[in-house]
Amino acid sequence: MPEPMVLVTDLAFGVLLGCVFAVIAHGLNLIWGVAKIVNVAHGVFIMLGAYGAYFLNLYLGINPLLSAPVDAAIGLAVGAGFYFGFLHRELRGKESIAQQSEMVTLVATFGLALFISNLALRLWTGNFVGIPWSPGSIRLGFLQLPLGALYVAIASVAIIALTHIFLSRTYLGNAIRAYSQDIPATQLMGIDPTFVAAVGTALGFSVTMAGGALLSVWLPVGINPGMGALYAPISFVIVVLGGPGKMWGSLVGGISLAVIIDVGQAFVGTSLATAIAFLTLIPILLFRPEGILR
Amino acid sequence: MSQPVEPETGTPSAPKSGRGKLIAIVIGVLLLVAVAAAAVYYLTQPPVPTGTLKVGFTISLTGRYNVEGTNSRNGIVTAANWINSHGGITVQGKVYNVSLDFYDDQSLQANVNSLYPQIIEQDKAQFLLAPYSTLLTSTAAPIADQYDRVMLSHGGAADTIWTQTTRRNLVEVLSPASVYLKAAVEWIHTNHAADKIAVLHENDPFSTLAANSAIIYAQSLGLDVVYNQSYPTGTTDLSPQLNAAMAAGADDLLGGGHFNDGLLIMNQLKTIWTPKFVSLLVAVTEPSFQAQLQATANNVTGPSQWESAVAYGPTLAQSLGLPWYGPTPTEFTQLYGSLNAGASPSYHSAEAGGALLVLAQAIGRANSLNTTDVRAALGNMHIMNFFGQFQIASSGLQIAHSMIVVQWQAGALKVVYPADVAQASVQYPYTGS
Amino acid sequence: MKLPKLRAIGPSLWGIGVFLLVLAGLAPWIPRFPLTILVNLLIFAALAYSLNFITGLTGYVNFGHVVFMAVGAYTLGYTVGTIRLHPLGGVALGGLMALVLALGLGAVTLRFRGVYFAIASLVTPLAGLNIVLVLPALGGGQGILLNIGFDPLSWFYTIWAIIATEVGLTYWITHGRLGYGIRAIKSDEDAAKSLGVNAPRLKLFLFALSGLFAGATGGVYAWTTSGVFPEAAFDLTFSLRMLAMIVIGGMGTLLGPLIGAIAVYLPSRFFLTIFIGTESIIIGLVVIVIALFVPGGIVGTLRKYVPELRRILE
Repeated sequence: MPEPMVLVTDLAFGVLLGCVFAVIAHGLNLIWGVAKIVNVAHGVFIMLGAYGAYFLNLYLGINPLLSAPVDAAIGLAVGAGFYFGFLHRELRGKESIAQQSEMVTLVATFGLALFISNLALRLWTGNFVGIPWSPGSIRLGFLQLPLGALYVAIASVAIIALTHIFLSRTYLGNAIRAYSQDIPATQLMGIDPTFVAAVGTALGFSVTMAGGALLSVWLPVGINPGMGALYAPISFVIVVLGGPGKMWGSLVGGISLAVIIDVGQAFVGTSLATAIAFLTLIPILLFRPEGILR
Repeated sequence: MSQPVEPETGTPSAPKSGRGKLIAIVIGVLLLVAVAAAAVYYLTQPPVPTGTLKVGFTISLTGRYNVEGTNSRNGIVTAANWINSHGGITVQGKVYNVSLDFYDDQSLQANVNSLYPQIIEQDKAQFLLAPYSTLLTSTAAPIADQYDRVMLSHGGAADTIWTQTTRRNLVEVLSPASVYLKAAVEWIHTNHAADKIAVLHENDPFSTLAANSAIIYAQSLGLDVVYNQSYPTGTTDLSPQLNAAMAAGADDLLGGGHFNDGLLIMNQLKTIWTPKFVSLLVAVTEPSFQAQLQATANNVTGPSQWESAVAYGPTLAQSLGLPWYGPTPTEFTQLYGSLNAGASPSYHSAEAGGALLVLAQAIGRANSLNTTDVRAALGNMHIMNFFGQFQIASSGLQIAHSMIVVQWQAGALKVVYPADVAQASVQYPYTGS
Repeated sequence: MKLPKLRAIGPSLWGIGVFLLVLAGLAPWIPRFPLTILVNLLIFAALAYSLNFITGLTGYVNFGHVVFMAVGAYTLGYTVGTIRLHPLGGVALGGLMALVLALGLGAVTLRFRGVYFAIASLVTPLAGLNIVLVLPALGGGQGILLNIGFDPLSWFYTIWAIIATEVGLTYWITHGRLGYGIRAIKSDEDAAKSLGVNAPRLKLFLFALSGLFAGATGGVYAWTTSGVFPEAAFDLTFSLRMLAMIVIGGMGTLLGPLIGAIAVYLPSRFFLTIFIGTESIIIGLVVIVIALFVPGGIVGTLRKYVPELRRILE
């Protein structure tokens, strides 16, 4: 039985990791909540966000924290492109996506993932790269925490809070939430569903790419074209755990997942803790499909 | 998405199915013709021009192992270049040049098991080198026995390739995985036997073998291993594990996995723990290790199959009573640089180039192109070349080549162990700067 | 369920049947090098047919199909490595173990709606990999190396038997009474259930079949590579390739998986040195185009635009 102090340290590390997991899943949560589609290529956009931060650092010397807003801006454009390229055909103001259309988007976004990740492989090679940014550490009682991870955790929570404020306090945000609940009613209120859906999607991609930039702080040499294959499943599990469409669900899901891995490894080893973390998806879907949060 | 398949209404009448059958038969006949043509083509390839020895292999120029594979290929090409410009290989009084026949296996097993037959049947290669990595070497191994060709492994280090099978023709040139961390353990035992050891390694075939062998060896020497954990490939956070190692009272850290793991461990150690001695697999030997970590890399050690600065040479060989063949490490490095725009050879380049040299020497000693003779020569040889010593056990496992230990000292990579090939001595402890 | 009468067998099935029989007859004379390419092609085709049972026929996208392949591969690895069973036995047992896993997994995950099923399927190989890594009996991180020979002819006949069975079953399922229920589920599951189609049982049946054949094929794959390693066995790229194959060939069709396997595998094998790395980019692009604009893949498109082929191709 590991010592309590070790476990508390593990918990702290888990929370820090969980925050960055939360922000990379948050974009998926937004898109799922608004457009009700699951973007299988989600991991690829995390990867692009990470590479964005890498190149910004390589050529302009910008540190990853500051790259996040830049990536967010790029993400807006990418998201809009994604909406008009893909989703508009399927949604076009419909109530919800039909069963066949659901499969179409699953397969089409899967093709997109293949395409973009292999294009990245061709352009940037499979070499693992990273950003050498180490701001040091901070001591809080008996805990010694890396500052990089701490900054990223704060930024992640800030991003999630900002989206929450946007969605609940602004007109456009409320319109998006209305769209996600009832499209004909939204139209009756004089809101253009296409515009709203596009903005919602763009927001989702923006958060995803910013998340990728923040994630890069955790990967001193871990950025590679295939990284989406690892972080996409993590994002999916987090969204299901927290509850699709629930804004704070990303944080709850992210921290839960990371804590299961980081604390669990002290008892059963890293591999088994990771397996258990992923498998929590199944009981949640069986018994509480709306997620942990009420 | 796709339209549902409509079955024919009831039973089709004879004329419709008759036409369908006709088309089917036509397709079948076309296939027959195609297959026959292919067979004729493949079986009547022209023979190898006399005066040339064809050495065939697949190598990972793309995919997961593309960096190591490309370096290995460059090393082989360099070695071939040296052989051909230094008298080639003499067999029965006739001089042969080496010609290389290789394909990109894309780091995939499914390509390996169809490319080697192509290399042998279509291209008529007479000798083989293995692919890079334990995974691909284990797939290629049975092919060497099936076609009765000698195959030299330069990039597949897991002992299990030889200990879990009874292959005849696969021979290992590089040091097996089990000895990777042995030198570090030995050094600790000799100099700081009271140190407690933590082992944290990636859960892949190579790292697991290296770590487990190190633990068994350490315990047999009486060292105290207080922490032993593995992590799956791609783990993002190793802070809990490193913290646990420290909490267990460890002084030294051994393990790691591939390049990105080593960097992750070093980065997270900065805020968690400063072990007195660190030895990590693979990552330490790369120049980018120091470039990324700067001062943090100082005094970190790692095992290496080879570095340019090793003191293998004709003098050392003579003092050990071993025959010497091939370029010196410096000559190999220079030749490699001239063929690769000034680049320095990594140890992958050296192990692959060294394998080709061993093959050349074996053929010369056997004085025959026959597989059995060459394999026997390989079994009897105890020699030294720029890569190090070569001698195999009856299974084909390498027993004479030793790993060296390198250490970053003041920003430069030095060979620190074993003493007879070292340039500097081990600096202890690791201070994190 | 009655077997279709012999003269009722459609032209597509005849075509594939003749193709397979010709191959089987010629096999002993094919030199080993083209034979290994053929074997690898048939392995991919067999995997595509197995995925077709669930994803092609019902529309439930199974991203984690590779987990059945891995179970089959590990079963063969364990039985051949530890108790010296003949690889054929390993293949059969591999299929059986994968079948059991499919039944267990399917009983739980098939209850979920399409999207949630897809996500759950994505997670299973990762969980499976991490579990295998901690089992020393299965070699843990080191994998299992097999002391077996290089025997393309045996591999060929084994995978041939697997494919022949799969093709036959696909035909029988789509042309029999089951076919109506399956098509109903694919268009609108709730409506189908209200019409009395026993959707859960049907889906589980197809899922179990897909697992069985993927497991057997996984065993054959381990046979051809003389060993099984954890990362390679649970490699998600396999699932993705299979999915691309049936999408490109035509989901749910009889010829689709075979055509898809040929279209995806052969160019990548032969253009190894020419277009290094680009074939996956092209495949991704093709999948997007097909999903959005040309549903039905190659077979579906041919049927739609070439009326003469409508009777023949399916």
